[in-house]
Amino acid sequence: MLLGFEAPSIDFHALAPEIVVTATLAVLILVDAFTPKQAKSAQSSIAGLGLLLALVPVVTLAVDGGTRVMFEGAFVVDTFSLVLTGLFLVSGYVVILLSQTYIAEGDYWEGEYYQLLLASILGMMVMASARDLITVFIALELLSIPAYMLAAWRKRDLRSDEAGIKYYLMGVFASAVLLYGMSLLYGLTGTTMLSEIATKLAGEDVPSAAVLAIVFIVVGFGFKVSAVPFHTWAPDTYEGAPTPVTAFLAVASKAAGFVALMIVVFGAFPFRVDIVEPLFWALAVATMFVGNLIALRQTNVVRMLAYSGIAQAGYMLAPLAVAGTVGDAAVQSILIYLMIYATMNLGAFAVVIAASRKTRSGELTSFAGLVRYAPGLAVAMAMFLFSLAGIPPLGGWFAKFGIFKTLVEADSAAGYSLAIIVGVNSVIALFYYARVAKTMIMDDVPDGDLSPVQVPVSLRAAISITLVLTVVFGILPQLVAGLTDNATLLSAVAVP
Amino acid sequence: MLAQVFSAVDACASTTADTAACGQTYSDFLRQWLTVAIFTGVAFGMGAVMLGIAAVLRPSNKRTGAYQNQKRIGYESGVDPVGSGWTQTQVRYYIFALLFVLFDVEAVFIFPWAMRLEDYGTFGLIEMLIFIALLALGLVYAVRKKVLQWL
Amino acid sequence: MDLMLNQFLFLGAILFCIGVYGVLARRNAVMVLMSIELILNSVNINLVAFSTMWGVASGAVFALFVIAVAAAEVGVGLALVLMLYRNMRSIDVDRVDLMKG
Repeated sequence: MLLGFEAPSIDFHALAPEIVVTATLAVLILVDAFTPKQAKSAQSSIAGLGLLLALVPVVTLAVDGGTRVMFEGAFVVDTFSLVLTGLFLVSGYVVILLSQTYIAEGDYWEGEYYQLLLASILGMMVMASARDLITVFIALELLSIPAYMLAAWRKRDLRSDEAGIKYYLMGVFASAVLLYGMSLLYGLTGTTMLSEIATKLAGEDVPSAAVLAIVFIVVGFGFKVSAVPFHTWAPDTYEGAPTPVTAFLAVASKAAGFVALMIVVFGAFPFRVDIVEPLFWALAVATMFVGNLIALRQTNVVRMLAYSGIAQAGYMLAPLAVAGTVGDAAVQSILIYLMIYATMNLGAFAVVIAASRKTRSGELTSFAGLVRYAPGLAVAMAMFLFSLAGIPPLGGWFAKFGIFKTLVEADSAAGYSLAIIVGVNSVIALFYYARVAKTMIMDDVPDGDLSPVQVPVSLRAAISITLVLTVVFGILPQLVAGLTDNATLLSAVAVP
Repeated sequence: MLAQVFSAVDACASTTADTAACGQTYSDFLRQWLTVAIFTGVAFGMGAVMLGIAAVLRPSNKRTGAYQNQKRIGYESGVDPVGSGWTQTQVRYYIFALLFVLFDVEAVFIFPWAMRLEDYGTFGLIEMLIFIALLALGLVYAVRKKVLQWL
Repeated sequence: MDLMLNQFLFLGAILFCIGVYGVLARRNAVMVLMSIELILNSVNINLVAFSTMWGVASGAVFALFVIAVAAAEVGVGLALVLMLYRNMRSIDVDRVDLMKG
């Protein structure tokens, strides 16, 4: 099989965001290796600057428009991937803002923290553009392996160890199962390119091994997006991990999981929706109900946010169950949901981090009477929570509205039933979000200590950014909808 | 060819004697999911069989009191063991072994390149230099963090 | 040729099942790690067998990437296990259950 080798042409403009982040990572490692211990605080600034710098080529690429295909179709830069790359970069930047004081004050390894964070973000960016099984796999591992270490960052705390080890074992097992599915898919088609797999599996007669491959792949990504029944790691990992890392896992890592799921399932099986739709229907229903019902009886705010995140994943799974009829509208509604979910959830975690600087606890009781001594934080938290619940003037309502619209547009039994279930669950969710707000506003401060909370500048910035975005997305939804209008995944594959 | 490969899994056709009737009994949809069901069944069955065999074969450990403790020790006669079976080793062994494994495994990417060095030309050379430079970055980090000093 | 392929796939499937069994039944974290390695190796066997069947190299390349990534995964995994042992004096995954609910 010795064929002549032809050097692929490389579009450096299209690769620029990834190259900038890789270069920043290299600089971080060198700076970390050659500076004394006291000078580590520069690390977070360099990392943040690198992420913002990487946004520049994303913007120029978006202005330029068009689709850039590289490496024989394994790496594609289009609206879909650009929107997601932007999302990952911005949420990565907010996570760095959240981490700054938390990591600097806590006697943790500072340099390595930002290196791993950047490596994970790089993996997510590659995932957004990957259209090939090998690239998807490498991107998935690049984003997961640093995340396992970050979850166990407080290494002398047994809870953080538990978070790390549970996340690691579940994650590695899931990716092994996923790989087995991928190997079956490769065996059936003889190619790793998703578009070629799609055309080869397009016929009427699908080998039953393909169904097996689909199930393995959905199970593998189900762990990543914490879909029920593969969610068991999520609450423990979220509670035990350092809170900024929890925010990162709950937002960026989950978004990357959804991206991978959409890319592989609709890249490889755009014509086999009859197989995947029932699977997603069942997953979405189970995820919504289990997430919301268990969240109702949580007493720890971080753990409650973890279960609420599971429920939100259920809402995002719902449009996938009707993707066959509505096509790219499903992908767009999920993108919108991911963006709005990222802003409001990062905001909620930012407030939790800020408040626990004084209370040193994530328990619901420690939030009692927050409005008395930190009115700003309490109001911000209430807005994020009501946005998560989907109350109109805030961003969350538009995200939910998009999901409803897609489900109803499908005009099928599956769509209508899911729309009703999403509605029922939104009402259930309102209870536990409102309970936190009630505790903050109505209850008395537990120990009568009314000294104000010292909120550092970086946390203030993070809360302001997320709060402004949450409100703007709610009032001017056409902004976020305009970004995703041209984001297509399904129609990119030609029907044979 | 592939139909043959997976014919064993496509149990419907082989287990029922009348293949023509089979195609009518099961809808296509169910036939596809049958594979998943069989695979799941085999996976759970295998676990059950393994645990079952182990349960039958192993000596029962139900006795209480002195016997219980006797069972737990390394030798049921002779000198009683002292302390735990775990011994502490220098953590440096672990770090060295780990670094070796990581850098060793990266060689799988260099060998295929080395085999066709001339075909890949300048392009391949530059790519490999970038790859090795990034790896070297890891080595520089390890050296600066003083993990490569023995004792 | 087909006969050979069947045998390789069968070996892969068996290894996969043993690996899944090990992950679910073993309590020692290192044994769980080894079981996961078994699954990854079953994937490699599948990939190389299919690669030979189709006569394209991409499967073998995929296997190379799986090997490299598996090494990185195990490096992180062993570090986590080591850390767990330092704090808990045990690597029994069943005992890691501080958080509930």
